[in-house]
Amino acid sequence: MKISKKVSVPWHIVFLITIFLLIFPIVFAVGSSFKTLQDAYNNPLSLFSLNPTLENYQTFFDSLPALQITLNTFLIASVVTIFKVVTSFLAAYAFVYFIFKGKNTLYFILISTIFLPFTVTMIPNYLIISNLGLSDSLWGVVLPQLADAMGIFLLTQALRTIPVSLIEVARLDDMSHWQIMRDIVLPLARPAVTSTSIWFFITAWNEYVWPVLILKSTENFTLPLALQMYISSEGGTNFTVAMAVSVITMIIPLALYLMFQRYIIGTFTSSGIK
Amino acid sequence: MKEIRFENVKKSYGNTEVVKELDFTIHEGERLILLGPSGCGKSTTLRMIAGLENISSGNLYMGGKLVNDVPSGKREVAMVFQNYALYPHMTVKQNIVYALRMKKVPKKEIAARLEDALTMLQLRGLEDRLPKDLSGGQRQRVALARAVVKQADFFLLDEPLSNLDAQLRVSARKELVKIHEKYKQTIVYVTHDQIEAMTVGDRIALLNEGVLQMIDTPENVYHRPANIFTAKFIGAPPTNILEMVYYDGHIQFGFQKMAIPDGWVGQIKKAKSTEMVFGIRPEHVEIMKEPRENVMFATVKSVENLGAEYAVYLDFHNEEVIVLSSEKEWHAGEQVYIRPNVQHMHIFDKATTNSIGYPERMVSRVPVFN
Repeated sequence: MKISKKVSVPWHIVFLITIFLLIFPIVFAVGSSFKTLQDAYNNPLSLFSLNPTLENYQTFFDSLPALQITLNTFLIASVVTIFKVVTSFLAAYAFVYFIFKGKNTLYFILISTIFLPFTVTMIPNYLIISNLGLSDSLWGVVLPQLADAMGIFLLTQALRTIPVSLIEVARLDDMSHWQIMRDIVLPLARPAVTSTSIWFFITAWNEYVWPVLILKSTENFTLPLALQMYISSEGGTNFTVAMAVSVITMIIPLALYLMFQRYIIGTFTSSGIK
Repeated sequence: MKEIRFENVKKSYGNTEVVKELDFTIHEGERLILLGPSGCGKSTTLRMIAGLENISSGNLYMGGKLVNDVPSGKREVAMVFQNYALYPHMTVKQNIVYALRMKKVPKKEIAARLEDALTMLQLRGLEDRLPKDLSGGQRQRVALARAVVKQADFFLLDEPLSNLDAQLRVSARKELVKIHEKYKQTIVYVTHDQIEAMTVGDRIALLNEGVLQMIDTPENVYHRPANIFTAKFIGAPPTNILEMVYYDGHIQFGFQKMAIPDGWVGQIKKAKSTEMVFGIRPEHVEIMKEPRENVMFATVKSVENLGAEYAVYLDFHNEEVIVLSSEKEWHAGEQVYIRPNVQHMHIFDKATTNSIGYPERMVSRVPVFN
């Protein structure tokens, strides 16, 4: 796509403002995480401290089992992502390529659950998990998140862009569904699967309300819960430590995004199939 | 026994009947063309053979076996799709051998078949390219190669040449015939292009609105159409169809009449039709400026340049008659004389639209394409 230079100047200004608005909080968080609390209060707008310190990070590692918490977050996000992608992909495959009675109705019902607010399912889920004896455990956090209508929706859309004739050729060659899925559909849907996975990972990584309900002991905490420890009224607000935890919280998803960004952008701009 | 037999086969989607009733046999080793206008059910028919569509009622036999409930993969068919359906993430070579590898065909055998196909379809040197890096003609040849290496009994092609330009089409047609001569599969070929049908087909099955109109050799479909639809669909410009009355050895159009041979008189008398229509191809009507024996007059409406010839559109008793002429000198409004070549005329029953048949002794006069 070509934009003539005359058009591009105002557009660039818009882009720059947008980028500034998006980047500023991150730079602010990184900058503040290296300041002492006093320094931060005295010069809130200076992005970087003249006397940078690691004491905020030190505080986090001293006051909470920080490594365990990071590992918990990573475990939960990974397990949730793997299960969600597998269940979404299998369901999407069935919805696109299987012929069965009531398929459209079933799909409609499933997709309509996207519009259910989390708060509607929160209490029933909580009761089920605690009756299963899984409260204050990582499995309790993971279990209700293993399937996802939004993932099914996204992957169904992606699979629908694969020309049906490709599947028909494979059917004529007596391929099993398993072979078709592995050798044809999955490679062609890889950009969509990758970006959906990253999206799942980031959502699970950032999840706050549900872990707050389930997890009680600090050694089971996830990073967003740890973060909350430093800004709640109980612990007293120590916002430079909170900023340090924020930085740790965002590093992993950010790294993932940078690694796979070409897939993410690809999914939103084209189906990836020519 | 690699024949395909349709027995009262119907296909409907909800209340829409796409294929109304098919009852015919495709012989072992022949090239049968399914021809017809868009939406006539030809692709659906092909997809029923492939097993990609269910049959609503009736029976389909392939190689002597009832296949109504046999899945695609077990029907021994290879198919070439209109959009080629090449796997975009696989190279040319992978596309060609993928199905063979999955079927656990011995490696030596795969290599041999691949070599054969690459040579025959001139794909050597392109083995490691992806489909997106190929031209349309090359993609089409890869699709053919992929179907050929299966060495299936039945070879189905769904408008395989329609995405190619005119020149490539001619060479692709020849390639296809070459493939068939080598492997002798039973070929079913769907097209809406009558030139393709004439050049590739051993027989043509002409469909319209889900009904088989005629199934016969290209020569017979052209020269002895079974009904008005066939006469008008095959050939360009289409066959002229005119209202007529038979009277005493003559065919009468309005107040003008034309003598016809005795053979036709007998044929008309034998036919029990009360109302008939007359058909004649544009190339079988002579046009002239001066009257001669057994001519009728008409008025020129317009002239169309077809390159080699001119199509002259005439007003003849308020009906349009198209005549082909090598001369250019025809002007709108001019009165001209026409003389249909009665050796090539057709007469159809007006009610059923079916041909009333052809006089016995005229059979030998049907010219045959070389």
